[in-house]
Amino acid sequence: MDSMVRNPDVKQRDAAQAVVVAVSSDAIFTPEVEQVHGATEPLRKGDAFSFMKAIQVVNERLLTLNSDETLLFDVILLSNDSEEKHSRIIASAKHYGLDIGRFCFCNKEDSIESLQSNNVKLFLSTDTNDVCKALQKGVPAALLYHQTDPHHQTEDQLKVVFSGDVIGSSEEMLHGLREQGFTETQLQGFKTAKGSVKEFAILMGEMRRRFGLEGSPLCTGLMTAWSSRDVCASALKTLRGWGLLVDEAFCLAGAPRSPILNLVRPHIICLDGLYHMEGFTAMS
Amino acid sequence: MTMYRPNMSEIKPTDPAATNAGEEKDWTASKACSDSLKTEKLKPPKPQNAVTIAVSSRTLFNMDEERKIYEEEGVEKYMAYMNQQEHENEPLMPGVAFPLVKALMTVNSRLRQLYPDSEELFDIVLMTNNHAQVGVRLINSINHYDLTIERFCMTGGKSPIGYLKAYMTNLYLSKDGEKVTEAIEEGIAAATMFASGDVENQLSDTQLKVAFDGDAVLFSDESEIIAKQRGLDKFFEHEQEFENIPLKKGPLKCFLEALGKLQRKFYAKNERMTCPIRTYLVTARSAASSGARVLKTLRSWGLEIDEALFLAGAPKGPLLQMIRPHIFFDDQMFHIEGAKKLGTIAAHVPYGIGQKYHKGELIEQPVKDKK
Repeated sequence: MDSMVRNPDVKQRDAAQAVVVAVSSDAIFTPEVEQVHGATEPLRKGDAFSFMKAIQVVNERLLTLNSDETLLFDVILLSNDSEEKHSRIIASAKHYGLDIGRFCFCNKEDSIESLQSNNVKLFLSTDTNDVCKALQKGVPAALLYHQTDPHHQTEDQLKVVFSGDVIGSSEEMLHGLREQGFTETQLQGFKTAKGSVKEFAILMGEMRRRFGLEGSPLCTGLMTAWSSRDVCASALKTLRGWGLLVDEAFCLAGAPRSPILNLVRPHIICLDGLYHMEGFTAMS
Repeated sequence: MTMYRPNMSEIKPTDPAATNAGEEKDWTASKACSDSLKTEKLKPPKPQNAVTIAVSSRTLFNMDEERKIYEEEGVEKYMAYMNQQEHENEPLMPGVAFPLVKALMTVNSRLRQLYPDSEELFDIVLMTNNHAQVGVRLINSINHYDLTIERFCMTGGKSPIGYLKAYMTNLYLSKDGEKVTEAIEEGIAAATMFASGDVENQLSDTQLKVAFDGDAVLFSDESEIIAKQRGLDKFFEHEQEFENIPLKKGPLKCFLEALGKLQRKFYAKNERMTCPIRTYLVTARSAASSGARVLKTLRSWGLEIDEALFLAGAPKGPLLQMIRPHIFFDDQMFHIEGAKKLGTIAAHVPYGIGQKYHKGELIEQPVKDKK
């Protein structure tokens, strides 16, 4: 059972045409260590703040090009918080002027159902465990990358990175992963990631094409973390076939991701579903 | 006298990223990928263990025609051209860094034969600010020549400098002098490459040969400043007086160090005579009056150079023509031009006082406008 509250301060999008994304409230507003009863001041900004600002920039630019544009980002804030916090969340969104279309308040157990019944294209969380769990359950999900450097937050351009390992992968690859000891649960996450990325990539491709090669408020990238260059080439061609011409591409061949990600500074990373799973044991 | 033998990670320009559980998993998965392909392809080494050479797309391949379209017709026309099916599958012609890359691959095969489990190898990374869509053509070309280049960064127009650090790059080669200058300012060995005519079939395919100028390349420009500002006589006087004081290091010193470390792996297996890496010092200094300080400096750093050639001011071109290095580094355009004229692959190191002079004369520096 969920309760959906429309945000009166934000013009409602046409949910059938928009890119509906659900963002966890813990990502937008920093969870409070101590719940103070009756507190009314706005909640503190969370890790997803620069993402929210960047989304706003993209929507504004799209509407500037075409005031009747329906291919816009439509954000649902997903909250599992107690009822007494609901109005505070809504007030905080208003205080910061966030482009949140609807608030969805539900129990943790009902979250998945809420996502599925609201035509959500992508569930976004800063917690890789939440993302992987959602993928395992067949829900399209991606990571909101926590940009650690407060002086270099990207707020004027939304950056979305896709996984070349997922998009360019083959059956043989899955078999290889199995042989290396990845569990069926992890592989299920991988399969969901592969199955769900197409729709989101097509939408991003269409949105990206509204803008020129340079000066776009939306920047797309492909990262191939551990597959070969041929997998990367295959991913580039696949994305192209879906209508998405990515701007940047990185092929790491097993090199550490963090130094590269710290430079790319993406907001959304479509994971491969294999990582940061509970109970994962180190491979020899 | 104890010799200083650095670890590979000490030669890296930045601290190696701490490996964490996520990165270990990436490593495991990459193993799964290379195993599943069942090809001869071997897994690339971890960046902190390897000698990382970053090459731009225009140094690896000849992209003159494409560059012309980019400059004359703009980026959209250039992208359209590159993406046309008939062009995408057409391998690009080898560029100025191509012979060097082949030679690096030869060294790697020899290293793998002697040390099958070691990651102390050359790792070649393609570092380009090209758009990702050009990637398919670049990968097709890499496949065509069967080059072992598994890592690349296509930054879609942004500066590649940060990525050089992220990959712990030991040497960056580009045709763009501005990027090279920026890299050097960030402490990364770098040089601007120039086309040199087709000498590929004359270069050794069993031994990598790298030639270095001394002042302002391996060493700082401290002595060169004296030569330019106070004349040669004062220069000789100074060098003799300070013979036993090591020169400060220059931008390419760490790269020579990395080459030396790999050379010693061959020596350790009694392969000194057949070592597939050979280094040369080609300097305008004269052996009698200013050479000793250079050799003593190298010795104090624990570095060896296979051949030290003191030209006492004679042109470098003819000597380089005999050596036929896969790459020759010099800070002065005058020497680069002389080398190029006689077919040597030359790379300019834009560092130090030499940038303000041409053929001994002070160049009028234009007023730089801030971008």
